[in-house]
Amino acid sequence: MSAKRLMLSVVFGMACLTSAQAQVKVGVVTSSTGPVALVGIPQKNTVALLPTTAGGQTIEYISLDDGSDPSAAVSAFRKLISEDKVDAIIGPSGTASAVAALGFAAEAGVPMLAPVGSTAVILPMDDKKKWVFKTTQNDEIVSAALVRQMVKDGVKTVGFVGPTDPFGDNWLKVSSADAQKSGIKIVATERFQRQDTSFTAQGLKILSSRPDAVLIAAPGSSSVMPQTTLYDLGYRGKYYQTHGAALADYLRLGGKKVEGTTVAGSIMLVMDQASDSNPSKKVAAEYMGAYEKKYGSKPATFGANVYDAGLLLEQVIPVALKAGAPGTPAFRAALRDALEQVKNLPGAQGIYNLSPTDHSGFDERGIELLTVKNGQWAPLN
Amino acid sequence: MNAQIALLLGQDGVINGAIYALLALSILLVFSVTRVLLIPLGEFVSFAALTMAAMQAGKPALLGFLLVALSLAGLVMDLIDATRGGARRLRIGMLAMPAYVGVVTALSLALPLKDLGMALQALMTIALVLPLGPLLYRVLFQPIAGASALVLLIVAIAAHVALVSVGLLIFGPEGARTEPFSDSVFMLGEAVIQSQTLWVIGLSLLLIVLLYLFFERNLYGKALRATAVDRLGAQLMGISPELAGKVSFGLAAFISGLSGVLIAPITTIYFDSGFVISLKGFVGAIIGGLASYPVAALGAVALGLVEAFSTFYASSYKEVIVFTLLLPVLLWRSLAQKGVEDEK
Amino acid sequence: MSPLFRSRLLWVLIAAVVVIAAAPQLLPPYQVVVLNTVGIFALVTLGIVLLTGVGGMTSFGQAAFVGISAYATAYLATTAELPAALAWLGGNPWGGLLAGVVLTLIVATVLGGVTLKLSGHYLPLGTIAWGISLYYLFGTLDLLGGFTGITGIPPLHLFGIAFDSSPALFVLIWGIVLLGVVATLNLLDSRQGRAIRALNGGQLMAESMGVNTFRTKMVAFLVAATLAALAGWLYAYTQRFVAPTPFSLQAGIEYMFMALIGGASLVWGAIIGAGAVVYLKEALQDVLPHLLGKGGNYEAMVFGLLVIVLMQKMPLGIAGALARRVTALRPHRGAATTQIAQAAPLARRPAPAPAESILEARGVTRRFGGLVANHDLSFSVKAGEILAVIGPNGAGKSTLFNQLSCVDTPTSGEIFFRGHKINGRSARDMAGAGLARTFQHVKLLPTMSVLENVAIGAHLRGRKGVFSSILRLDRSEEAQLLKEAEQQLIRVGLGAHLNAEAGSLALGQQRILEIARALCADPCLLLLDEPAAGLRLKEKEGLSQLLSKLRGQGIAVVLVEHDMDFVMGLADRVMVMDFGEKIAEGLPDEVQANPVVLEAYLGGAE
Repeated sequence: MSAKRLMLSVVFGMACLTSAQAQVKVGVVTSSTGPVALVGIPQKNTVALLPTTAGGQTIEYISLDDGSDPSAAVSAFRKLISEDKVDAIIGPSGTASAVAALGFAAEAGVPMLAPVGSTAVILPMDDKKKWVFKTTQNDEIVSAALVRQMVKDGVKTVGFVGPTDPFGDNWLKVSSADAQKSGIKIVATERFQRQDTSFTAQGLKILSSRPDAVLIAAPGSSSVMPQTTLYDLGYRGKYYQTHGAALADYLRLGGKKVEGTTVAGSIMLVMDQASDSNPSKKVAAEYMGAYEKKYGSKPATFGANVYDAGLLLEQVIPVALKAGAPGTPAFRAALRDALEQVKNLPGAQGIYNLSPTDHSGFDERGIELLTVKNGQWAPLN
Repeated sequence: MNAQIALLLGQDGVINGAIYALLALSILLVFSVTRVLLIPLGEFVSFAALTMAAMQAGKPALLGFLLVALSLAGLVMDLIDATRGGARRLRIGMLAMPAYVGVVTALSLALPLKDLGMALQALMTIALVLPLGPLLYRVLFQPIAGASALVLLIVAIAAHVALVSVGLLIFGPEGARTEPFSDSVFMLGEAVIQSQTLWVIGLSLLLIVLLYLFFERNLYGKALRATAVDRLGAQLMGISPELAGKVSFGLAAFISGLSGVLIAPITTIYFDSGFVISLKGFVGAIIGGLASYPVAALGAVALGLVEAFSTFYASSYKEVIVFTLLLPVLLWRSLAQKGVEDEK
Repeated sequence: MSPLFRSRLLWVLIAAVVVIAAAPQLLPPYQVVVLNTVGIFALVTLGIVLLTGVGGMTSFGQAAFVGISAYATAYLATTAELPAALAWLGGNPWGGLLAGVVLTLIVATVLGGVTLKLSGHYLPLGTIAWGISLYYLFGTLDLLGGFTGITGIPPLHLFGIAFDSSPALFVLIWGIVLLGVVATLNLLDSRQGRAIRALNGGQLMAESMGVNTFRTKMVAFLVAATLAALAGWLYAYTQRFVAPTPFSLQAGIEYMFMALIGGASLVWGAIIGAGAVVYLKEALQDVLPHLLGKGGNYEAMVFGLLVIVLMQKMPLGIAGALARRVTALRPHRGAATTQIAQAAPLARRPAPAPAESILEARGVTRRFGGLVANHDLSFSVKAGEILAVIGPNGAGKSTLFNQLSCVDTPTSGEIFFRGHKINGRSARDMAGAGLARTFQHVKLLPTMSVLENVAIGAHLRGRKGVFSSILRLDRSEEAQLLKEAEQQLIRVGLGAHLNAEAGSLALGQQRILEIARALCADPCLLLLDEPAAGLRLKEKEGLSQLLSKLRGQGIAVVLVEHDMDFVMGLADRVMVMDFGEKIAEGLPDEVQANPVVLEAYLGGAE
């Protein structure tokens, strides 16, 4: 590309940026490339489905990619805050990025809606984290549900499998604590990498410690290979998977080898079986319908976390408008205050009840324990 | 650990090692002919695996579009070269690659590949991945064939960055896995041996032997190696460095495409899986001193074994162990090296 | 006015200081943030310029070094559990800086020790390997917060000043970058710097001039690691968190991109490259969604393609392309002329006694497999004597020359230099002992000035090291070395070309340059490999006179030559070789009349 063309494109780009002067500006930072792309792409795609008006104001979304790099996430945050003067930020996709970025959001007084699993972004609550709201179920809640089910299933010993990344780190921490409380012993802890070509060695290690069950905590399709390898090696104990596995790809890649697994999923996976009384069903159906119409495929649950963030903002923007005009610190502070007051808001993932001490606000109603039956998701009970 | 576990670990290590060995050989091949450390080799592997998986899932094989784009770029560069050269060297041969790419792409989109059986799918996959080699050489490396090793390396890495991004675009972030060639298993004593294992090892061995024969016994193979030693000399002897470059890249693409097809049923491959796999091939190639084919192959297999056993003992530290083990190898090479050398 | 104030560099520096002080007040806040990132990257890239662009060693490990230091800083700044012995390191930024730099240097010393002796492609691949393994180590150690990393690093306080905002950090970061640039420029413009610059394509030559190339590589490697460690410390206090990703291999690759895009052979290239990459990515992120739609992620693809195109069109990078057009941007080196003129002459080696035996070969035999390249050669040279070795092609002259200059070792037989056996000693040792040589295929650094090329010959006559050069404490010695080089150049008749690029000289002049370089070492034995090849008649006469003069000063000369006429008029004795054996030795006239010699030359053994 010649320098002249580059210049032209820059000028053109600037023109486009300034032409759409919206009243409420929301930044979105996702990891739509790099190792976490699997999580980030459905999130980025969801941006186009977010509410475009609230309280009579249009909402403009400015979406940036952090390439799965915490430094880039921080840069993106700072850019959104000081260049675009956003009123709120949705993102980033990764826990490490969110932890790194939250200080800068708090410093600028910009509420941040983080679609990440680890409670490290909201607990322990302090002056910085009070600006952060988490739009996913806490890993703790999912873990507790799974461990309760293990107890119910009579599991006494369990092997833990997680990837070598923040997702795996946090799950190891959370599930170990839960297991210990319930008297379940973790007899093997094996880590792997998403791109590994083999899980055989770890599988053998688990096999040789003979646990009653295996808990695999990995995001997306990386949750499949450990399980199929264990199956091939002849392990026939019980398998538990986190919400990370709650994707169509899990069934596609796992085939008959993942039959009977217990998965902590959301209502999105079992829409047909879910009762209409579940208020999330309607929201989830709307989201999934819109996503499928636009992209031709069903969204991964990660996308719903961003969708829910949009719903939360749609709910609180009218309230905050009373305190000040968009673009002012007063408006942003009011957004934050209003978010803490959200009660019984149905999202695609569950029902939000936020408070000054609980910035995630999900209870266990958001979690559906599922199993795989004949290659399809089915409610466990 | 008991004998059975050891055997299974060994099997696992040998499979991965065989794949690394194939890549190590491709790396050596390309390096010795063109001085390029072909970092994007791993992308050939992942593209092959993902293309085959896409076929089996009944999705269109989008790789063809990349080929079309590259072959058009190559054609334009050929034309520019021809007109700039003064002597109108417009040859009909310039159209060969675009024509081939056009046909393969059309076939890949038109044929009902999902129902054609695994052999045809594999063939089609390799037919799609193969031209990536010569095309990359034509578009990226031929214009700078005489550049410093560092510039060649940087272009190779930039190509890897761009190709991973293309991979994300055409294959998506989800991993994929293909059907195994056969589900049958053999019992060796107490250990289960999957027939897939035998496929991988058998084909790798065959390729290694073929490569050896090609370079040691075949005149054209020897000519290729001559290019590496002395570009000008080879040119004077009637060996075109361009052709040698394209052939070596093509061979590398073929071998890594085949590796991709072989590995696809064993593991989940992602758009960015190739890099780590090819790096392990590089480790093998280093062990072989970037010169010896048999030592590189053995080194790669040894690496696979080390990887399997170290994963068993300390899975969190696997990569640390595998890549740190290169240090003693380098130390040994360093002690073996006498005096100083100037490189160009 | 002192020469300092006439230096162009000084004015550039003053301008830079003014800009650094003013910029954060004038720029929009986000631009300050971006420029802080650029500054940290530039510091790391500066190390790559020194290591890769100048020294020719390709390393992708810089990012890992940044990581070691950043983690050390972050750990010490946040932990409350230091053992008592280390407690003094915790809680203050100086402790973090010290620990970061020291730890980085320890790791770099180990890794460098293992990989730097290796040639060519082992180094990049080796650095890739340790880059990966350190990344996983950062992510796996619980101590370092696993893959989530360490957060909550307090703001930086130095000398009671809080560097807690981007503008404050801007001044600190760019101040350090400026110091780094000046230090690197100073280092490169010194005795050590010439040795580092000689690494890229001139290692064999440098060793023969007494440069310890391994040690020099290590120096460049450790300086680069120190710059990376400084950047890591700044990174930890700028981002106030650390996680493994920014120190991964990908980051290491990115730094290399910056160096090459900016122009790896020029110090300014580091800043240009870091800026270009950061702003290019910013621009792509802003522009591409508008050009190619919001759905895809084309940034990395377009970025990769741009790097490829840039490398194809500008292999020397942006700075390199600029410097080619604008002379003012090229590096100007060397002590000021006045300083050189006033410099005291260097101390000289005590001259050998007249007629002392300088070099003696006894039964030297060299086999390569079945081939006997030299067979049972014996001869000697005394101080103040010129011995010419002649013979047809393939006679084994070059093999002999290599053994005499300690590049090669005889299979059997002995070589004595001033009475000491030198078989198996290194070329570098011999340079120190007073043996200087030239090369059959001229080995000089084409982009370096004639004067500097020759000054490499005087390497062992200087003592000043890295720190003195960085702090410019080496100026009087440097002036002495350059004066010596200047005088030798005047002596050989190249006085008019002192500041020309060595590569621009004619081949004959390049050969003469090599002799001047050898003379700079103050040798008692000069080994000349075909010095008259490519010289015009006038130049040959000049060379002949020069060598006669050297002989008169008690230097022993061995020259391997083809040119009979040149040799016959000059040499005291001539030794004739054929098929690896000595077939005749004696006075030039005797040898010329010797029927065996005539047979060898005219009988057409070739």
